[in-house]
Amino acid sequence: MKILVSVISILLGFVAGALLMLSSGANPLTGFSYLFQGGLKSVTRICNTIAYAVPLMLTGLSVTFAFKTGLFNIGAPGQMLIGGLLANVLALTAGLPRPLLLPLVIAASIVGGMVWAAVPGFLKARFNVNEVVSCIMMNWVAYWVVYIVISDHFKSTTIDTESQVIPAAASLKTEAITLLTKGSNLNLGIFIAIIATALVIFILNRTVLGYEMKAVGFNRFAAEYGGINVQKNAVLAMVISGALSGLAGLTFYCGYLSNMRIGVMPSQGFDGIAVALLANCAPVGVVFAAIFFAILQTGKGFMNAMMPIPPEIADTIIATVIYFAATSKLIEMNLDRIKKFFGRKRPSKSEGSGEHVEHH
Amino acid sequence: MKKILATVLAICIGMSMLAGCGSQQGSETPSAPADSAAQSEAPAEQPADKPALKVGMVCNAKTIDDKSFNQATWAGITRAAEDFGIETKYLIAADQSAAGFLQEIANLYDAGFRMIITPGYTFSKAIFDAQKIYPDCKFVILDSAPQDDGAEAPEIAANTAAIDYAAQESGFVAGFACALQLKEGEFGALFGQEIPPTKLFKTGFQQGVIYANENFGTNIKMKEENFVWSGSFSDAALGQQITAQLFNSGCNLVYCACGTTALGGFNEAKARAEKGEEVWVVGCDVDQYEDGLLEDGRSVTLTSTMKNLANSTYDMIKAELDGEFVGGQQIIFDAKNGGVGIPETNPNLSDEVQKEADAVLEKIKTGEIVVSAEPTDVSAYN
Repeated sequence: MKILVSVISILLGFVAGALLMLSSGANPLTGFSYLFQGGLKSVTRICNTIAYAVPLMLTGLSVTFAFKTGLFNIGAPGQMLIGGLLANVLALTAGLPRPLLLPLVIAASIVGGMVWAAVPGFLKARFNVNEVVSCIMMNWVAYWVVYIVISDHFKSTTIDTESQVIPAAASLKTEAITLLTKGSNLNLGIFIAIIATALVIFILNRTVLGYEMKAVGFNRFAAEYGGINVQKNAVLAMVISGALSGLAGLTFYCGYLSNMRIGVMPSQGFDGIAVALLANCAPVGVVFAAIFFAILQTGKGFMNAMMPIPPEIADTIIATVIYFAATSKLIEMNLDRIKKFFGRKRPSKSEGSGEHVEHH
Repeated sequence: MKKILATVLAICIGMSMLAGCGSQQGSETPSAPADSAAQSEAPAEQPADKPALKVGMVCNAKTIDDKSFNQATWAGITRAAEDFGIETKYLIAADQSAAGFLQEIANLYDAGFRMIITPGYTFSKAIFDAQKIYPDCKFVILDSAPQDDGAEAPEIAANTAAIDYAAQESGFVAGFACALQLKEGEFGALFGQEIPPTKLFKTGFQQGVIYANENFGTNIKMKEENFVWSGSFSDAALGQQITAQLFNSGCNLVYCACGTTALGGFNEAKARAEKGEEVWVVGCDVDQYEDGLLEDGRSVTLTSTMKNLANSTYDMIKAELDGEFVGGQQIIFDAKNGGVGIPETNPNLSDEVQKEADAVLEKIKTGEIVVSAEPTDVSAYN
């Protein structure tokens, strides 16, 4: 059932995108073929697509994890920034050998994300402050913290709006992978994403903590009645969610890139929400949804270069595909009706209700 | 059970990427990709048998109509397209980083574009890499030069033309013209991030005002704290707020040089002018007279400090078509070769002021006036 929902939403997205292409006088067949060629045509392009997908996987996991506890973590961009900032600062100042430095840099990014997410988590638990509002505010605090710290202490000598480049010893990029993939941006981040996915699945399905969190997500009042500490779980869920976003910051700023830019909110943080929605909050699904999004993003430019359509239309087409892909809830709600329409007999299921985001 | 479900779901999403494509193609699936693959390889062979030039551009903003760098560069490319019938295309980078720009350059190259033009300093690292990866492609980088991260000096390959503007010279002429036009008052400025091109505009503008104060008896005040770095090129609300503060603190002219943020400054000035206040702004990079238009057809834009991006872009394309492309060095566009200055017509400047401003521009051209690129001390004009 869940699979059907994701598949239908993606198909709908492509149909809508195809209509848009037709209306701008382009052939959707060639358009979509260029789109996928752009993302997957060569080894370098495939690896670049995966490299682009890695931060999306982690922010998608981050949002998914908070969703499971009924929290909406829209603070992933801020958590990415702080995670990335701590990692960058450590990488620039520590001067340790790689075997020591790399784990430290990874740990720093986790701590940064955790701290930044703990604040909304605590405010939610202690004062019932809506986490959406506090997360968005924390995003802007992070934005300006990065701005001030970098422009005052770590400004690049060549470009004033960027930080200094981190030493190779602290980067997730390795020469072996770069050579093997013919100069792509792929780096060790992919392994971090895989490990994180496995850990999230383990926590959610195999631990008491995960059980409690899901219980809170299904119905917080029932969970509280059952003796689960809802407050503690809210903070913990945000902290773990923040750690994942912090790692996303690491893979983006110390892997995909080698420095940070000031005055930029990372879009991967927000895209993580769409990734989580498309994956229907299934951790493994997040991995593939992130790759799907990355193909759209990296393939778009090639489609655009090959087709006689302006970039604005190309952007709209991709946005339409994403928009429909993220409407999975709508399709899920109407799935029974769709089935009835096609006259199939199926016993109705009600287990999907637990996946709904808690409304405030 | 759930795990299996999740795995199946994941595979299905993977499959659906292809299905999404396949469902459009129906029974033609096997032939269509092969066909289009052939098409995509064809342009790569084009330069050999057909010398038609395809000129591409990568934007460093989310839109081409930024009323600044991207728009002006694209205007030069479209003019060249009309005159020479070349194929053109601009791409907007999904991710505005060196890696993201490089990806778009790769897209243009793979699509057969052999001349790629990039506006602005944000491209220095991307072009540094690209000029080595694609030696058979010509690159033009405006207002900057290709440079590796953390490197001491730029490194310009033979297939790259790096164009630099003497921005301080246009700042000087504008500052001088404004001072001469208004004679009394206090000037402030709204800038974006503290980057070298804006620093040049700032120091030139201040020197121009000082030149008018000392030689033409004008009385314009300047306080260093009223030359504000807003930190953003894309925040119109912030620009409006800062400009309001500047006007409130006694400035009657604000030099707005920061892309979209500047448009907020324009809006504040327009709102005040509609209410009858006598306030002015100065535009940047392109002629921004139109951006300052009021309902009655007047404009709050006194003049603009221009970089003639459209002309330099056009010149570069023409040079390439004529086989006279000069790469491997920094090409300076200044007052001498018409690369910088103020607009030819400024409806808000009186004829005498325009004449004096033209005279000053001449003096800069002949070297009689030398505009320093170093920061200016305005403490004597508080």
